Amino acid sequence: MSVISRPLPPSLRIMLLRVLVVTVAVIMVAQLWKLQFLQGEGFRLRANENRFRLVETTGQRGVIYDRNGHILVRNRPSFNIAIIPGTLPDDEAEAEAVLKRLEGLIKLSESDLPVHAADDETEETTAGPPKLGSSPPPQFRERMTVDQAMEEVNAGLQGGAYRPVVFAGPVSEETAFAIAEASYELPGVELVIEPVREYLSGTLTSQVLGFMGPIPQEYVDDYEAEGYRADDQVGLSGVELTFEKALKGQNGSRNIEVDVNGREVRTVGDIFPSEPGDNLVLTLDARLQALMEEALKKGLTQAKANTGVAIAMDPHTGEILGMVSLPTYDNNLFADGITADEYNELINDEQRPLLNHAISALYPPGSTFKIVTASAALQEGVIDERTRLGDSFDGRVDGMIYVDNRFFPDDPRYAQPFYCWIHAYGTGHYQVNVREALAVSCDVFMYQVAGGYRKTFEGVGIDKMDEYAEQFGFGDVTGIDLPGENPGLVPTPRWKRLTYAETWAAGDTYNMAIGQGAMLATPLQVLNATAAIANGGHLYKPQIVRQIVDVDGKVVDDFKPELIRDLPVDPDYVAVVQDGMWGAVNYPNGTAKALTVPGVSVAAKTGTAEFFDPNIELLPNNRLPTHAWITAYAPFEDPEIAVVVFVYNGGEGSATALPVAQDILRGYFALKNPPQPADPVDGEPAADQPAGPAEPGADQPALPVETVTAPAPADATTPAQGEGG
Amino acid sequence: MRFNLRRFDFVLLACTVVLALFGIAMVYSATLNVPTYESYPVRQLVYVLIGLLLLMGAAAFDYRLLTALQWPMLIFMLVGLAAVALLGQVRGGTAGWFDAGVVLVQPAEIAKVLFILVFAQFLSAHHDQMHRPQWVVLALVLIGLPVALIYLQPDLGTATVFIVVGALMLFAADLPWAYIAAAVVSAALMAPIVWNNLQEYMQSRILTFLDPASDPDASFNVAQALISIGNGGLLGKGFAQGSQSQLHFLRVRYADFIFSVIAEELGFVGAVILIILLAILLLRLLNIADQARDNFGRYLVIGITAMIMFQGIVSIGMNLGILPVTGITLPFISYGGSSLLTLMIGIGLAESVAMRSRKIEFD
Repeated sequence: MSVISRPLPPSLRIMLLRVLVVTVAVIMVAQLWKLQFLQGEGFRLRANENRFRLVETTGQRGVIYDRNGHILVRNRPSFNIAIIPGTLPDDEAEAEAVLKRLEGLIKLSESDLPVHAADDETEETTAGPPKLGSSPPPQFRERMTVDQAMEEVNAGLQGGAYRPVVFAGPVSEETAFAIAEASYELPGVELVIEPVREYLSGTLTSQVLGFMGPIPQEYVDDYEAEGYRADDQVGLSGVELTFEKALKGQNGSRNIEVDVNGREVRTVGDIFPSEPGDNLVLTLDARLQALMEEALKKGLTQAKANTGVAIAMDPHTGEILGMVSLPTYDNNLFADGITADEYNELINDEQRPLLNHAISALYPPGSTFKIVTASAALQEGVIDERTRLGDSFDGRVDGMIYVDNRFFPDDPRYAQPFYCWIHAYGTGHYQVNVREALAVSCDVFMYQVAGGYRKTFEGVGIDKMDEYAEQFGFGDVTGIDLPGENPGLVPTPRWKRLTYAETWAAGDTYNMAIGQGAMLATPLQVLNATAAIANGGHLYKPQIVRQIVDVDGKVVDDFKPELIRDLPVDPDYVAVVQDGMWGAVNYPNGTAKALTVPGVSVAAKTGTAEFFDPNIELLPNNRLPTHAWITAYAPFEDPEIAVVVFVYNGGEGSATALPVAQDILRGYFALKNPPQPADPVDGEPAADQPAGPAEPGADQPALPVETVTAPAPADATTPAQGEGG
Repeated sequence: MRFNLRRFDFVLLACTVVLALFGIAMVYSATLNVPTYESYPVRQLVYVLIGLLLLMGAAAFDYRLLTALQWPMLIFMLVGLAAVALLGQVRGGTAGWFDAGVVLVQPAEIAKVLFILVFAQFLSAHHDQMHRPQWVVLALVLIGLPVALIYLQPDLGTATVFIVVGALMLFAADLPWAYIAAAVVSAALMAPIVWNNLQEYMQSRILTFLDPASDPDASFNVAQALISIGNGGLLGKGFAQGSQSQLHFLRVRYADFIFSVIAEELGFVGAVILIILLAILLLRLLNIADQARDNFGRYLVIGITAMIMFQGIVSIGMNLGILPVTGITLPFISYGGSSLLTLMIGIGLAESVAMRSRKIEFD
């Protein structure tokens, strides 16, 4: 090759390439200069935006105790499985393999987790006055299928690749740990831990404690204005709702450094530390609550009834010691996210387990209302404590009287008969005074004192009756710190005109006198009125929370008894009504004489309230079905507990409600004074007594009632026996 | 033929070694705390050592002997590329990998050197006829064959390297300006046709470059690269201290975006030093080409220069946001055995040319 020896001339083209190299290098340095100096500040800011994140933290929600410090609800972690689309393997097949593996790890025991629940089918509760505060949107946490997840992941990759997609709702701790252990083999899968409520007392206190859920759509703005975040959980019923502000931990925020997957690398600083919420100490006694529920369940079973209420209260303070509404539900269902089926089942249940029947449902109070009628009559001077009235004005002791027709007062053919309950037994109460009338629950006496009798006797009159009913707390909420309280209804002539376009008739007043007709009340109102009699005439606001205590145990708020009003009834007259209730237990023909508590004197008032429900068949002889009521308090001398028991369609108050009240009172005193080794045998001699409509001696008061402050011999049965004999 | 050790370009070797060590350090920083990539720095070190041996071997070897091998080399290259296109492993959307037991081999990298050798031989053999259209067409066919096979993988980036290397070698071979002008015009006319035949991901990369807002997710990587560079400032955040790279906001840090790691962690100073090192290396190569004893040597070195220059420009340009994202890595720095060994062999061949250059000796 001859070419070899001939040196090549320097190339122009190579010179041009040199120029190109230098030019490009200069351009690059210039661009670097621009990025690192001219625009450097902006990029540094963006780099910091990348790495620092303000993480919102949630303060621990307060826990709730009963009055003795037993914990009723606490917080526990809930484990959710999320997928970060951006950190899944890029390859679709690999990503799917990860999800398949994940699915395998979610234990078979949890395969009944709903896979994509149906859409929200929230329905309003069936018709009826009380409605659930606001129907909470149930939160569905469903497990996805792998295909669905892949779809979501692909959708996620286009938008926020690092926004977590919830793959499976709460899984067991075991599964969560298994997934955490396998995290290396599960790129893109994240375990999200959030605190949820654990209601240790579950169904026992669910009506009172309530439950939590996502903020209802219509309130999101209100809550956000209070510093809530849109995805915060809030109390939706019970004290969880009423004491939301106290329980709620304060949201805070923390500055952290994160990597590209949003995983925390380190904490840079607390900006606003979150703070735990305050704890609540309820007035409830969990032990009493449990025995109340048991007693009520027993009563319901015996009466073949479904719905019932039992409430216990300290009459001197208004503190609720126990509140049971059956049927109940498990509020733990809401903690992990209730499914559509579970929620609809609760919502559509005819017995309305979500409803706290103690405060939200309305029933005719029946004879338990007679304490109001008697108080009104005494205070208004319509009767004095010796006045005797009854069914014998027409010469017949048959437990019935007539109300003259308004237009033909002199024509007995148009007169309307009104019956006493005892009429069904073919007799009447003859003539009774107010104490006896309460003790034997004489309807005729109450008709007469409230509505008058023919032209011979002027009654209290409807206007005054309404006034006293309202003074005793009927027709208005008691103000208890629970949501969904129903004010009830005290019928007035004006109300009747507006509602039925009819004028008030004397018969309406008669019905009102015995807590029937249009009169409607909540069991709590009935109890509160009873408690006001028991404590000598003071109507207290029922309280459910005793103390709000902060996390260090310091008392933030101490609930003092709150007087609504003093009854406009002279204490002497209140004492007469108390005697009447004492008589109901202790007179030989008292309607509650089966109610005995060893060593404790009890006062009570039974009620058997007729009601009409198109779904419930009439009793034989076309008689209306009845609710069973009883209110009671003890000890008579210095009451510490007042109880109301209500059984829907329970029949006779004395037959159905009374044993429940007895169990509760006995249980209460047994808790207070654990039984002595030598427990006196509790005979029930009263049961052997001929309980007929015996007529007490006309001039001899049945009891030394004037000096009644202490019908001293503590054993409740003794005086009754003495008197009866 | 004798060679003269004094004509060995020690500056070129020094630049190469410094760049390669720089690369190991940056690969180390870029793969820190990622278990999957734990072995990368050590592997890269091994590649560098092997590469230096190959460099020395190639330098000692008389490049002119390779002219005898042009047909076997051509066939070997084409068969290798065809095989990988048909049988290769798919990784990162392209099939450019062969599993060679311990390591994955990218035949396209080796093919670059083979192509340069074959094409340099062709150009030097027909140096006087390059004004004749039939030889130009033949030259284009020679370029087109490997490009077509690589495009089938599909790997637009590497295919572009072949086109540019071939074009620059033609340019250096004194291709008449008229042809160059015609090529530029016809390239402009062909652009729409080429565009329509591009793979979708290639189109989206170019679109993303032209209009970053069009695909926020795809432009994420580019945006993060710019943030990383801007975050660096004058002296950088410190080695292995860059928040963008250490917190993994920067993707493919050890390869495509390694320049951004350098700019963030070592700052303007570090990045400029890198650019200067590369520029010196390229200028030294051009010197060798200029002083080559024969056209084969000259075109061979031009080809190697073009390869390093184009890859360097595209990689850094992409990091700086002035060129679209391609899979092209930064020469000597980015992690990758096949690429590094190819580059080392290239430098070795250039040294071989240098030691046999026409410079007059006074000994």
